[in-house]
Amino acid sequence: MTCKLWPQINKEEYKGVWVYLEHDGARLKDVALELLGKARDLAAKRGNAQVGGVLVAGSDEMAQEAIYHGADKVVVVVNPELKVYTPYEYANAVAKVVAKYRPEIFLIGATKRGRELAAFIANTLTTGITADCTALEIDPKTGDLMQIRPTFGGTQMATIKTPHRRPQMASVRPGVFPKPPRDVNRKGEIVHEAVELNARRTTFLGAEKRIEHDIADLPPVESSDVVVAGGRGLGSAEGFKWLVELAKLLNGTVAASLMAVRAGWAPHTRQVGQTGKTIRPKLYIAVGISGAVQHMMGIQESKHIIAINSDPNAPIVQNSDYAIVGDYKQIIPLLIEEIKRAKAPQ
Amino acid sequence: MKFVVLTKAAVPLSTAIRIDPKTGTLVREGVPLSTNQWDRDAVEFALKLRDKYGGEVIAISMAPPSGIPALESLIGMGVDRAILATDRVFAGADTWATSFVLAKTIEKYVPDYTLILAGEETIDSTTAHVGAQVASHLNIPYVYYVYDAEIQGNKVRVRRFLEDEGVDEFYEMDLPALVSVAKGTQMPREISLSRKLNAREKIMQVTNKELELDAECVGLKGSPTFVAAQTGATFPPRKRRIFQGDPREAVRALVEELKKEGLLQP
Ligand SMILES: Cc1cc2nc3c(=O)[nH]c(=O)nc-3n(C[C@H](O)[C@H](O)[C@H](O)COP(=O)(O)OP(=O)(O)OC[C@H]3O[C@@H](n4cnc5c(N)ncnc54)[C@H](O)[C@@H]3O)c2cc1C
Ligand SMILES: Nc1ncnc2c1ncn2[C@@H]1O[C@H](COP(=O)(O)O)[C@@H](O)[C@H]1O
Repeated sequence: MTCKLWPQINKEEYKGVWVYLEHDGARLKDVALELLGKARDLAAKRGNAQVGGVLVAGSDEMAQEAIYHGADKVVVVVNPELKVYTPYEYANAVAKVVAKYRPEIFLIGATKRGRELAAFIANTLTTGITADCTALEIDPKTGDLMQIRPTFGGTQMATIKTPHRRPQMASVRPGVFPKPPRDVNRKGEIVHEAVELNARRTTFLGAEKRIEHDIADLPPVESSDVVVAGGRGLGSAEGFKWLVELAKLLNGTVAASLMAVRAGWAPHTRQVGQTGKTIRPKLYIAVGISGAVQHMMGIQESKHIIAINSDPNAPIVQNSDYAIVGDYKQIIPLLIEEIKRAKAPQ
Repeated sequence: MKFVVLTKAAVPLSTAIRIDPKTGTLVREGVPLSTNQWDRDAVEFALKLRDKYGGEVIAISMAPPSGIPALESLIGMGVDRAILATDRVFAGADTWATSFVLAKTIEKYVPDYTLILAGEETIDSTTAHVGAQVASHLNIPYVYYVYDAEIQGNKVRVRRFLEDEGVDEFYEMDLPALVSVAKGTQMPREISLSRKLNAREKIMQVTNKELELDAECVGLKGSPTFVAAQTGATFPPRKRRIFQGDPREAVRALVEELKKEGLLQP
């Protein structure tokens, strides 16, 4: 028995793995490409099902890029009413396209806009959705999508399923899946759809780029292989200058603990942890950070963790691969010197 | 004007959590609950709008009766009244079934609402689904991550910040509408003990007897998603090599290790 508000569906009629293709007006967002790569994996396990994309107000060039990255079919919504993004109107339009093409699985990148749209789309399609999945697999027994996500502040991993409704929907944060290779020999179909819009209820009035005071011209924390992070132990904003130098030397970037952000030494966009970003760099260097559980939640999946801390009993020292116990003001300059020497051609 | 705030009585992260082995969902009964931290931003936002435009702020929550103290403290902050949707049949709800009960409660008890405010996300579920889903059930426009709003006639103008793109955006919506309030953007006011004194009288509890929702559409049964398995998260074990003593020696040893691991590519 199911809720009578949900229309009866025949699951057999839902085929393929589709992706919402978010773009910035000029090009597809990386997360859309990452999801196309994952969609190909999943489609292969579903009898080589079709991989599709839904692109609102994008160009045929973008649709072509999606095909190069794994799509077999891309639906471009061309209604001039949808030229600029508004949440309610976009969510309704995407839902209409998905309802028409009936994919078995529909994936959305969990950018800020993606998170805004995802649950509304799911509701409109009377189906379920799982947020921020870190793994997606096909149940070999039932063929259902296994939507795996951390819950309860990252202390638990849940496997969630949508056994009776279609499509099965999930959102995935940027950077979780690798970007698939670009293959210009891939062929696919581009379809234009003039989706009909209900009465407009939202008007876009304008936008402004915010000039955020950042500590240095360095890449965002979620897209770097090496992250050097500072905490309250730095004692001042000055301390971050040393971290910036170390980060540049390692082709990485800088991040901060909540306490360093609260002190005003770094912008919130650089905070890692439970209430900041979750990152998975190859190398994470925590300087003057105690390693509180809320901090560790955001960095636990780093390949290597290095701690520089004056307190041998700080939790981070016990939860790292390599820890140097000492004053960072002494350690960092030595480390910079030694790394320069190690990297210099012999 | 009626400002409806959706607030969840959440399981504080410091609590030892229990998972129902049968359903895989979090056990909320018998656990002391407190208002989801980020919903305080939404409450503060609603109170400011009420102070400016008049009217009342009504907090709505779906929770077991242990969610009452959380609502009492919101009344202590200045919320005029609260409605708690509470019934055993609501237990185990996913975000579809949660938002369904919330939307139906609003429709029945505050049909003339002006604006609905949600928090950005909850600390114990972190899905950011419920706001958009309530908007969908009620078929009203919505904008997320709002930090400022202005009401003009039957329209609301909002400002919001998209952190990942670093842009502020401005929208106008027809009322009624829903916004989610960006976390950390408001300064939630203090709880006043005198306001909290007779808070209990301002909390109305409604069960499914009053709401009369199809039992197949609420709680675990009314959830399109279900938790098939839940395990403690495991993290890769760490090497725990600790270098103490002479800093220069320590740094050399560390750099040697980094080289061995191939972490110092030129
Ligand atoms: C709901 C909730 C969410 C949270 N979310 C986050 C989050 O997203 N991210 C986050 O980071 N935190 C978060 N926190 C806060 C977290 O609990 C800690 O308070 C915080 O991470 C501590 O920051 P810190 O390590 O910089 O400061 P501290 O804990 O004060 O640690 C400073 C460290 O620096 C060391 N030190 C001092 N001087 C030196 C020196 N000269 N050289 C070397 N080391 C030195 C000290 O030994 C100490 O270990 C959250 C907390 C809560 C309750
Ligand atoms: N059980 C609930 N009762 C009332 N409001 C809720 C409930 N669950 C979620 N919300 C609202 O929806 C927002 C997003 O929650 P979530 O989708 O769980 O991240 C919260 O900040 C609340 O405003």
